[in-house]
Amino acid sequence: MSAYSLAAVSFVLFSLAAAGFLTCGSLVRMLMFLELMLNAANIALVALGPETVSQAYAVMLFAIAAAEAGIGLALIITLASAFRTLEAENIRELKG
Amino acid sequence: MILAASVYLFGGLAALATLLMIFQRDPVKAAMLMLAALLSTAGLYLALSAQLLAALQIILYAGAIMTLFIVALSATPAAWRDKPSRGSFTKVLGLAAAAVILTELLKVSAALKAIMISPEFSETGTLDLALTLFGRFAFQFELLSLLILAAIVAAVALTSKRRAA
Repeated sequence: MSAYSLAAVSFVLFSLAAAGFLTCGSLVRMLMFLELMLNAANIALVALGPETVSQAYAVMLFAIAAAEAGIGLALIITLASAFRTLEAENIRELKG
Repeated sequence: MILAASVYLFGGLAALATLLMIFQRDPVKAAMLMLAALLSTAGLYLALSAQLLAALQIILYAGAIMTLFIVALSATPAAWRDKPSRGSFTKVLGLAAAAVILTELLKVSAALKAIMISPEFSETGTLDLALTLFGRFAFQFELLSLLILAAIVAAVALTSKRRAA
C-alpha cells in the first residue's frame, strides 16, 4: 500500500465534503460539511505523519473542531432567531 | 493485508456516507449520515493503529459534536421550514470546484506514490502520546484550553445577547 493511496482516501473525503459545502444552502449543513473537511484533514495527518507527533496534533485538532462547532452553532442559532431562516441566500444584511 | 483492506473499507464507507449526505434533504437524516461518516473514520483510525484517536473520535465527534448538531437542529425551527433555493447552476459550479480541488490534491501528492507503507498493528502508544502532549507540546496544549475557554465565552455571549433582545 503506497502513501499515495492513503492520502487519496483523505483527499476524496475532503473533496466530497467540499462539494457538499459548496452546493448546499443551509447554514447547519454547511457547518456539518466543514466538520467533515476538518475530519478528512485529520485523517491525512494521522495516515502520513510521524506516529506520535501526528497523533498529538490530531488530538489538538479535535479540540479545535469542538470549539469551532460550538461557536458556529451559537452563531447559527443567533442568525436563525434574527432572520427566521437558515438559508445562506436569504441572509443578505450585515447590520445587526 | 487485512489492515490495508480495512483502510479502504472504512474510507469507502465514510465517502459513501458523505456522498449520500449531499443528496439528503431531511436534516436529521443528514446528521445520521454524518454520524456514520464519523464512525467510519474511527474505524479508519483503528486500522491505522491510532486506538486513542479512535476512542476520542467516538467520544468527541460522534458523541459531543453530533449531540450539539441535533440540539441545534431541534432548537431552530427554521431548519425544517426552509426549502433549498439554490439553482442547478450553483450546484454544478460547486461540484466542478470540488472536482478541481480533488484533481489538484491528487496531482500535487503524486510524489507520495514512491513511498510504500505497510500498516501493521501496533500497541496504542498512549503513554508516548501523553508524554508528547504534556512535554514537547505542553505550551500548545495549554493554549488550547484558552481557545476552548474563549469559545465558551463567545458562545454564551452570542446566545445571551439574543435572549436580552
